[in-house]
Amino acid sequence: MFELKPWLKLIGARPTRLFIGALLMLAALLSGLGLLALSGWFITETALVGILLAASLPATVNLYVPGGGIRFFAVSRTVSRYLERLYNHDTVLRLLTDIRVALFRKLSSVGRGQRRELTGAQWLSRLTSDVDALDTLYLRLIAPAALAALVTLLVVVLASVLFNIRIAAGIGLILVAAFGIATLATYTRTVKISSRQSDQQESLRTAVVEHLEGFAELTAAGRTGKHGAWLMRQAHQSSSEQVKADSRIGWHQAGSNLLINLSAVFALWAGFGLFRSGEVSGPVLVLLPIVLLGLAEVYSMLPEAFGKLGATQASAARLNRDCRQADSVPAAGEVIALPVNTALLVKNLAVKYPDHAPLFTHFDLQIQAGERVGILGHSGSGKSSLGDVFAGLLTPSNGFCSSLPCAYLTQKTVLFEDTLRANLLLGDPEASDAQLWRVLELVDLADRFQTERDQLDTWLGSSGSRLSGGEARRVALARVLLSSEPLVILDEPFTGVDAATRERITPLIDAWLEGRTVISLAHGPDALPGTDRVLYLGV
Amino acid sequence: MTETQVESSAVRRWLSDLAKGNRRWIQGSVAAGTLAGFATIIQMVFLARIVHLGVIENASASMLAPLFAGLVLAITLRAIAQGVQTHLAARCSEQVRRTARRQIHRYWRNSGPLALGQTSAGSLAREWIDHVDALHGYFARFLPQMTLSLIVPLIILLLVFYLDWLAGIFLLLSAPLIPLFMALVGMGAEKLNQQHFEVISRLSGQFLDKVRGLTTLQLFGQTESAAEVIQQRSDHYRRVTLKTLRIAFLSSAVLEFFASVAIAVIAIYIGFGLLGYITYGPSQDLTLFSGLLILLLAPEFFQPLRTLSQYYHDRAAALGAGAEILARLGDEQTASPAADHDVEESDNDLSFVTPAVDSGSIQLSDVSLAFRADHPVLSNIGLTVAKGDVIALTGPSGSGKSTLLHLLAGFLAPDSGDIKVFGKPAGTFAFGWLGQTGFLVHGTWADNLRLTSPNVSDVAIETALSNVGLGPLLESRDQGIHSKVSEDGQGLSGGQARRLSLARIFVADYDLILLDEPTAGLDSDTEIFVLEALRKLALAGKTLIFSTHHHALLALANRVLLVSGGEVRDV
Repeated sequence: MFELKPWLKLIGARPTRLFIGALLMLAALLSGLGLLALSGWFITETALVGILLAASLPATVNLYVPGGGIRFFAVSRTVSRYLERLYNHDTVLRLLTDIRVALFRKLSSVGRGQRRELTGAQWLSRLTSDVDALDTLYLRLIAPAALAALVTLLVVVLASVLFNIRIAAGIGLILVAAFGIATLATYTRTVKISSRQSDQQESLRTAVVEHLEGFAELTAAGRTGKHGAWLMRQAHQSSSEQVKADSRIGWHQAGSNLLINLSAVFALWAGFGLFRSGEVSGPVLVLLPIVLLGLAEVYSMLPEAFGKLGATQASAARLNRDCRQADSVPAAGEVIALPVNTALLVKNLAVKYPDHAPLFTHFDLQIQAGERVGILGHSGSGKSSLGDVFAGLLTPSNGFCSSLPCAYLTQKTVLFEDTLRANLLLGDPEASDAQLWRVLELVDLADRFQTERDQLDTWLGSSGSRLSGGEARRVALARVLLSSEPLVILDEPFTGVDAATRERITPLIDAWLEGRTVISLAHGPDALPGTDRVLYLGV
Repeated sequence: MTETQVESSAVRRWLSDLAKGNRRWIQGSVAAGTLAGFATIIQMVFLARIVHLGVIENASASMLAPLFAGLVLAITLRAIAQGVQTHLAARCSEQVRRTARRQIHRYWRNSGPLALGQTSAGSLAREWIDHVDALHGYFARFLPQMTLSLIVPLIILLLVFYLDWLAGIFLLLSAPLIPLFMALVGMGAEKLNQQHFEVISRLSGQFLDKVRGLTTLQLFGQTESAAEVIQQRSDHYRRVTLKTLRIAFLSSAVLEFFASVAIAVIAIYIGFGLLGYITYGPSQDLTLFSGLLILLLAPEFFQPLRTLSQYYHDRAAALGAGAEILARLGDEQTASPAADHDVEESDNDLSFVTPAVDSGSIQLSDVSLAFRADHPVLSNIGLTVAKGDVIALTGPSGSGKSTLLHLLAGFLAPDSGDIKVFGKPAGTFAFGWLGQTGFLVHGTWADNLRLTSPNVSDVAIETALSNVGLGPLLESRDQGIHSKVSEDGQGLSGGQARRLSLARIFVADYDLILLDEPTAGLDSDTEIFVLEALRKLALAGKTLIFSTHHHALLALANRVLLVSGGEVRDV
């Protein structure tokens, strides 16, 4: 259970809102119970009075209080249900925000270069579904369970007032059993299946991806059918587990329903004893069983929610693990002070990925402040890893690297689903519109966006999908140029940019970067901006 | 939605086809639900009867006892029927999902490895697993409930009419409203779901966008402001959504209102009728039994409909997922026909089909292929390769070396011309293929080799693995070939994975082996093992065709072909 603790704490940070939401839910539930109970009482009362009246015996009945009550409950049930749904959806959306923001803060505290395993589309989609499992925890599970317990208590108190303590205790016992079946029993009978199924789903996903990655080899060997059939069996096993869990949830639901109905039968049976001895009137005798029947609605949400609690716990555990990874501090490499007038100093550097031959060993480099250095190498020669080491994203396996604060254009173009302005302002949050236009002119994009209706507020779409590859690259370049760091590292700055544009913007960029240190990495000399010296990597 | 827009009517048709194939389960679930409905009615009849006899006619406990027994029987029956209903519904969804997965897998096989390679394995896997799972609620809950929400209210209505036709008319007044309710609830819920799903997916899209670019945000020191942006955007969306929800929730509030008012009106009508204040119609015949029974049945009349409206989001989820699956399956017609040999659900176990001995060569006659009309990759290629030849394909990148290999593998069909491999169409018998990325599955070394050759002996597996230089690695493992490939979470390096794939080729004894850049990206140690392994294969008389720039591999070949400018010629 404690894997849920940090998330419950987060949810509990809005106590007033949760309380009001629960109160509205309670109002809707009690109105529903009240409507039926009062109607039952009223019909029995009128039936008894009607018989007396038919026999011309004196009898009176107050029609206005119960009639008004019935009308009131009919309206209050509708209104409170409507308000409750609206208010609680608001709460869920707020909790969603809280959880996402908290998770994002935790993830962004990750040490640079430590997050390598926390990327990938698979991880991202898992992250979404795990977060979704948590944000409805309050509405699906906590609030209904708490309310069911409270309403049950109220009904038992009502029974002890209307009937007597002994009968109330009997009803209470049956209801506690019903509550236990709907909550705890459902949970314990499904938790293993749920978490097993969650694991199975993960390994099934891995197996499917493996199948697809090896599809050419399997096709060549004529084995896609056999291996596919194996996958089908795995998938089927996983859904059989789900069927098992669903069935158990269904049977527990039916069992808890059965007990609720039995409590009504018991109340009626025991009530007749009191009725015959004149301790309760007929209308009151009818009222209590009807209230008990109405409890079914209060309990109906519980088994489903508790049957999924195991999976929710697994989600919470995974998110906690991701965040723990984020908390670990990266091993501090050797740090030494930079000599005066030096922008970058690299000594005896080695870069090695696990299970691969080292990319570099004994790599030395010293770059003076204000120098323009180009580094050339074919693809796979380790340029980008070198850039990552310079920018502090990658920890070298040996040696050390110190540099001035730097602005780094990574090989991969990363634009956010946001406005052009917001994407550029990352480089310098204080920049004025005039500065933004100036830097767009540098990369020959000013005209392109002047003609857009929204100009700087043009929406860039998912991963900058409304731009061509070259345009997206130049937006990313403009963002780096906007930053005023003394060292600028550009990894393949002109990917996807055509030759004519490249020739036009290179001198502008060179002039703009006057006085700063620039390290450019590229696969060929024509992909570099102006340089004082050029290094060649590898063979 | 993916590239192709899919009509929602097409999705509905697909879903109903799936339902047709599993009609038995759905009917069973509906039957159990109807039984539960019947049991509920009987329960209420007993309840009302007991109250009437006990309160009005002062019946003794012993007289009531059999009625109580009947009551307990009815509620037990109701519980059993409910349990059976959920069980059958879950089984139905299981079957449907199995069918859907089979359809998708058949599509994969018909498309062939090349077409599949266009989409990331991650998103294909998501379609196969998550999207298919999203169909669950529709088949397990929504579909049976749709029928039940017609049957059960109808039975109750008939009974109420029998008891008191005026009360029946009150319910009936809302009965013509039921289709209206359905439409209202449907429209409202649909709109609501659309809105809700859109907002949720937009929000999670924005969130993931920021997580994806976390490194960039860190580089610019902007993670904190990004967190604030997530907060502001979410708040903004929340306010916008709530405006729509205010309207959308009204439709279900209307249903709720009618249900409440109908109960209130019936209660008051019955009360006045029992008092004898109403002097017309059937109300003079009302008793506590019939009055109470009508009252108890009234909420049950509306309950199936309320349940249905709760399940509407299952339908929306299934429609969304179905649209994406259909968008993928829709390309089926355009898929490459080349992998025809593989369309049958069960493999025709190709490893045992030995190519005819007499046709001992590979022949390409007049083969042309263009991916774009004005840009032929290969034009009018004529080529004969003798059995046992070792052929290196070389040439500038993008010149069509890989395309030629794909044609020989049958992964691609030529636009024109004919390809015969050992006298058979390309790709109609088992051969060895080594792509640029090695392929391994979670399991033991033996599992990995038996994937493609299920019947080989342990000794053959050990020999194959040591042939590709994995012997020392295996000796370090406790259980040899029966130990897991990736032990203690440690994977294989790219080079080791490629050698594992090569071992598969060794163990299978193929006559034709196609390799795409077999040494690209390997460190020098691995390179030596791969070269050595290929040499052994060549000595064993296999026909090897590979694309390469590597001088040692070029030296291994007895014939080097230059692929350039759409032509293939000897060097």
